[in-house]
Amino acid sequence: MESLITAAARALEAGDPLGALNRVALRNDAPSLALRGIAMAQLGDLAKAKTLLRSAARAFGPREAVARARCLVAEAEIALVSRDLNWPVKTLAAARATLEKHGDLVNAAHAGHIEARRLLLVGRLDEAERTLAEVRPTPLPPASQVVRELVVAGIAIRRLRTKDARAALSRAADAARLASIPALLAEVDSANLILVTPAARLIARGSEHPLLLGEIERLATSTALVVDTFHHVVRRQGVAVSLGTRPVLFALARLLAQAWPADVSRETLISGAFQARHADESHRARLRVEIGRLRTQLEPLADISATQQGFVLAPRKTRDVLVLARPDEEKHAAVLAFLADGEPWSSSALALALRISPRTVQRALEDLARSGKVQSFGHGRARRWMTPPVPGFPTGLLLPTPLLKT
Amino acid sequence: MKRSAAEIVTEYGPFPGVEAVHGVTYDGTHVWFASGDKLNAVDPADGKIARSIDVAAHAGTAFDGRHLFQIAEDRIQKIDAASGKVLGTIPAPGGGGDSGLAWAEGSLWVGQYRERKIHQIDPETGKILRTIESKRFVTGVTWVDGELWHGTWEGEDSDIRRIDPETGKVLEQLDMPAGTMVSGLESDGGDRFYCGGGDRGKVRAVRRPRHG
Repeated sequence: MESLITAAARALEAGDPLGALNRVALRNDAPSLALRGIAMAQLGDLAKAKTLLRSAARAFGPREAVARARCLVAEAEIALVSRDLNWPVKTLAAARATLEKHGDLVNAAHAGHIEARRLLLVGRLDEAERTLAEVRPTPLPPASQVVRELVVAGIAIRRLRTKDARAALSRAADAARLASIPALLAEVDSANLILVTPAARLIARGSEHPLLLGEIERLATSTALVVDTFHHVVRRQGVAVSLGTRPVLFALARLLAQAWPADVSRETLISGAFQARHADESHRARLRVEIGRLRTQLEPLADISATQQGFVLAPRKTRDVLVLARPDEEKHAAVLAFLADGEPWSSSALALALRISPRTVQRALEDLARSGKVQSFGHGRARRWMTPPVPGFPTGLLLPTPLLKT
Repeated sequence: MKRSAAEIVTEYGPFPGVEAVHGVTYDGTHVWFASGDKLNAVDPADGKIARSIDVAAHAGTAFDGRHLFQIAEDRIQKIDAASGKVLGTIPAPGGGGDSGLAWAEGSLWVGQYRERKIHQIDPETGKILRTIESKRFVTGVTWVDGELWHGTWEGEDSDIRRIDPETGKVLEQLDMPAGTMVSGLESDGGDRFYCGGGDRGKVRAVRRPRHG
């Protein structure tokens, strides 16, 4: 490799992006464009970084397939961190295959990790796991190991496997100390916070208390009847009734469960499930019909009996009824859950991740912005939304130095 | 043009703390190589680093009998081989796009990587005396027995080739095995070339074909 490129790459490696820019700022050959792109990414100007890396990929000659593939991987990572989830995944897969074919296993692994992080982010956990498994277990540099373990932990957390998550995070912490990159250590720390921050509320016999992830996991083995507002199911051990497509029935089930062993008045059920202010005769008739339907649905798990003033739940084969609810019940909890990663999201990326229409996301975001829970910057298609920084996962831009190697 | 596979005689390294080899030269006893912030002297008998000089060393390395010449950023440093002191610098002809370096016939010969050129320059002033066009990215330059050889590295392929110093025409080519890059080239004056192994952090000895 040539002299100034070597000097600039060494500066980047030593964490001195300005020093790198100083050396190649005025040059427009392919390696200089790539180095400038990575330096700009490290300085936080992701838009400029993307343009530079794209020019670099074009400028490398047809014989420089590996260099070109590295530029594409760096661009994919920037797209991921910018929450540009429409970035072509096929391009990343092709770049990864090129790197693998030419024996650049470290960067190929990096490309695989980016793919897995994207899948984790959009909730495709099985595919994320498969992608991770495909990454060749070559000796990875510590920074890459951290990323890998963070993805493993992310999947475990989403799957409520606390023990696996804890083990992965402890391996991530060891690797982060080896890498001695402060940003990575911080990311592992904030991921650890998720395990000690309440992830849900437990409502039972009229009172409630916060639950940690591990406690939620233990609920799975409890013999209680659980009304789970995360998945919209009512379950007891292996038996589950899904009410995801029956919101009124689910609302009734939840009201009955929260009050258990007490009964719930007709008025409370009508206002809670039908959003009606005053209960009239037609509402009472509808309530009878819906309770009848719920009774049919819950048949294997519970009965519903009429009382003087309303209805009461009568669970079968258990003496316990619990409601599992989000820690903070917001109207737009799902949107907030994604924004909670502290990164800027476009409304179209959110729509893609949540699988709902862009217009619905837009309305939710405007709602949340009015109450100060989210903020936006940029205009038009470049507009991004974020919450004030909270622990997120996995968000960091790594652009490992092997991307620069000759 | 004669073309054959390069015959690798010996491999040195990887060396502790050395990530990449950027330039190579030979002082008659030791093989010197540039590793970013150091020049290292390797004893070819045991492959161990005998001595190091702390000096910026980003590309080609050369030796004129008393001084080491080392490319760093966009200049060429002249270093006293005995004391390790930098005696002076001249601008590099490629303005930082420089790659290989050789000493011969009172001149320095500098490869300009992506421009696919070799410049002959005045070692006192850095003035370009003439320029030879190559067909490939140039990563190392050496003269031996009146033959001009240079290393190439383009994409995934590397070779060592002898070119006509007047016309740049390729006379002979030694293809390196796949995945083996040449960063820096020096002849030992006999039947060996020393080649830098790029980011694999190695130095390789390759047999020089003799004709006669």
